[in-house]
Amino acid sequence: MELIGLANYALFMGIFIGIYALLALGLNIQWGFAGLFNAGIAGFFAVGAYTSAILTSPYAEGRLGGFEMPFFVGWAGAMVAAGLIAWPIGKICLRFRSDYLAIATIGVAEIIRLVVKSEETLTNSARGITNIPRPFGDLPYVQSQAAYLSIVLLCLGLCYFLVQRQFNAPWGRMMRAIRDNELAARAMGKNIEGRRLEAFMFGAALMGLGGALFAHFNRSITPEAIDPMVATFLVWIMLILGGQGNNKGAILGAAVVWIIWSMSEIATDQLPAEYAIKAKYIRLFLIGLMLQLVLRFRPEGILPEPTRGESRPAQVSAQEKD
Amino acid sequence: MKSKFFALALAGGLLAATALAGAPAHADVKIGLLGGVSGPIAAMAPAMIDAAQLAFQQVNEQGGVLDGQKIVGAVGDSACSPQGGTDAATKAVNIEGVTAIVGPHCSGAVLAAAGSVTIPAGVTVVTPSGTSPEITGLADNDTVFRTVPSDDFQGRALARTLKAEGYSKVAVAYINNDYGTGLANAFKSEFEAQGGEIAGFAAHEDGKASYRSNLADLASGGADTLVIFDYGDGTGLTLLRQALENGFFEKFIGGDGMKSDAPIKELGAENLTTFYASSPVGEKSDALNVFNEAFKAAGGDPDAIFVTTSYDAAFLLALAVEKAGGDKAGIPAALRAVSSGEGEAILPGEWKKAKELIAAGKAIDYKGAAGDLNFDQAGDVPGAYSLFKVGANGFEVVSEMK
Repeated sequence: MELIGLANYALFMGIFIGIYALLALGLNIQWGFAGLFNAGIAGFFAVGAYTSAILTSPYAEGRLGGFEMPFFVGWAGAMVAAGLIAWPIGKICLRFRSDYLAIATIGVAEIIRLVVKSEETLTNSARGITNIPRPFGDLPYVQSQAAYLSIVLLCLGLCYFLVQRQFNAPWGRMMRAIRDNELAARAMGKNIEGRRLEAFMFGAALMGLGGALFAHFNRSITPEAIDPMVATFLVWIMLILGGQGNNKGAILGAAVVWIIWSMSEIATDQLPAEYAIKAKYIRLFLIGLMLQLVLRFRPEGILPEPTRGESRPAQVSAQEKD
Repeated sequence: MKSKFFALALAGGLLAATALAGAPAHADVKIGLLGGVSGPIAAMAPAMIDAAQLAFQQVNEQGGVLDGQKIVGAVGDSACSPQGGTDAATKAVNIEGVTAIVGPHCSGAVLAAAGSVTIPAGVTVVTPSGTSPEITGLADNDTVFRTVPSDDFQGRALARTLKAEGYSKVAVAYINNDYGTGLANAFKSEFEAQGGEIAGFAAHEDGKASYRSNLADLASGGADTLVIFDYGDGTGLTLLRQALENGFFEKFIGGDGMKSDAPIKELGAENLTTFYASSPVGEKSDALNVFNEAFKAAGGDPDAIFVTTSYDAAFLLALAVEKAGGDKAGIPAALRAVSSGEGEAILPGEWKKAKELIAAGKAIDYKGAAGDLNFDQAGDVPGAYSLFKVGANGFEVVSEMK
């Protein structure tokens, strides 16, 4: 029983790490590649989660829904919806410089959160959407989690592959050029606004997918899940800690932060019972401490951004040398 | 590179977990206490957890469960969010190996933890404070219960009472969260079904300085009665004050959140002659007195919110564990059996008596501090509510709500 329990816990952590890694990957496109300070991750997360929930959940009185589409349609819909929502937002907000963009995106995320919380016919307001189908949800506990983990990993692997490809492609180099020296890039004739908007939308689509995976895993989505603390700032901590501008770093950061977040509670539970409640705050402290230490001693993150050519396949670099 | 790091992190994590999980003694029966220790209800959670621990302490002092085993409450932090709720529930079920769970505290956390962890794992949860009507409709294989009535229930009871007392046209203002929305929607549908008219229906956000435009909007429907689903020590107070100052409405009805001393202190009883509030009565029962004494003696505040429901959830689960012989799968049936309304009455803290009766194969019926707690088909309990008015010495009961 002990071993199965541990396996279950590991599977669960794997699923959560996968979901958060998708969010961190999305943020990495926006911040790591394009230098866009998006502090509204929760908003795109919510759009994805609710879109998929509405598309796939059974009929419920008083709100939009009842389409009962298969889950992959819902997930694709989530990515499209989050990307489309990002378009007008990006059109308006991306003219702002870094910190102003952060303020604007926080505002946008709050608007989305309040709409979700208030629109009865669209999202069932504060009560949220329940009975969302979970792929392989009818299997027993362990198998069901294992199946879901493999789906999450498949999604994550595919996204990682595509993002990594883009990173090494001319598109990725151009993004970094725009990020590092906008004026020079403009002088080279690059369409800066257009590229930024692309990065913003791609990133948002990945965040939407993360939201959809989250909603289906829990079989429910409520406005409490799109709290900025757990859906925006935790993701930022993951990316900064793992290494901004590095896709592997984004995934690693998600894993490290979530493992500390979750497992530190097991450790603090060993304290005497009278500290049971106080001890819960230790993990908040630990995450903060980690971030401080990383920023102080390794500001580029655990895995820094690869410098030019480093992350490209060996043979490509070799060919260029000829 | 990535996989190496991943493997390392995971291996390290698992190693630590194995080392830590090896510690607990197997003789104990563990029950998870998942609460929003950190997060928005951090101020309420400690008292609720203490109340549940009190129940376990009483059980252990009076002989423990089964063959004298101790009940241990495994506290987990559900952080009042779905993320925290599923995380805490997974740890409780898989690492701590709990038999059943009291909590999580917030509705969103209950829905997520039930959907992804406890229903698939077949672990029974009893939430003392998840009041969302959505919990009623979960496909839960009879494993999700609660000791607090659904908001749906109070909203409907209030609508019936008001209609019966002759109110036929009202406006409704509610705070925009699951509490306010749940109550308001239930109230609206029942009030309209009874033939009443809702002349204004609007949500408002928490913590604004002025609600005059909201109130003017609501008053434009022509109703002279305003029903407020909000908190009397927060936004609800502002709303009430501004409605009184500007004469938007003549009569005011509040939900249980409005039954707070703050309006009386701030506005004065003489200004609140037309203010009524519905609230769970906690039925002036022996059970409640017994609990109050015990919790006070243990250093707790019996008037804190949701402590009675937390205590009852914990004590009921202890009874169910005893009745089911420690069998995880038998807990839901046992839970219904120990609080079915039939059999010898058991009051809070009467563990020894209950244990003897169960051993003798006799039926028992737990009378909780928060009410009789006879579960319905969906695992919900009906609440007992009364309508209160403001008198010379604070709130006084006007009538019972049916």
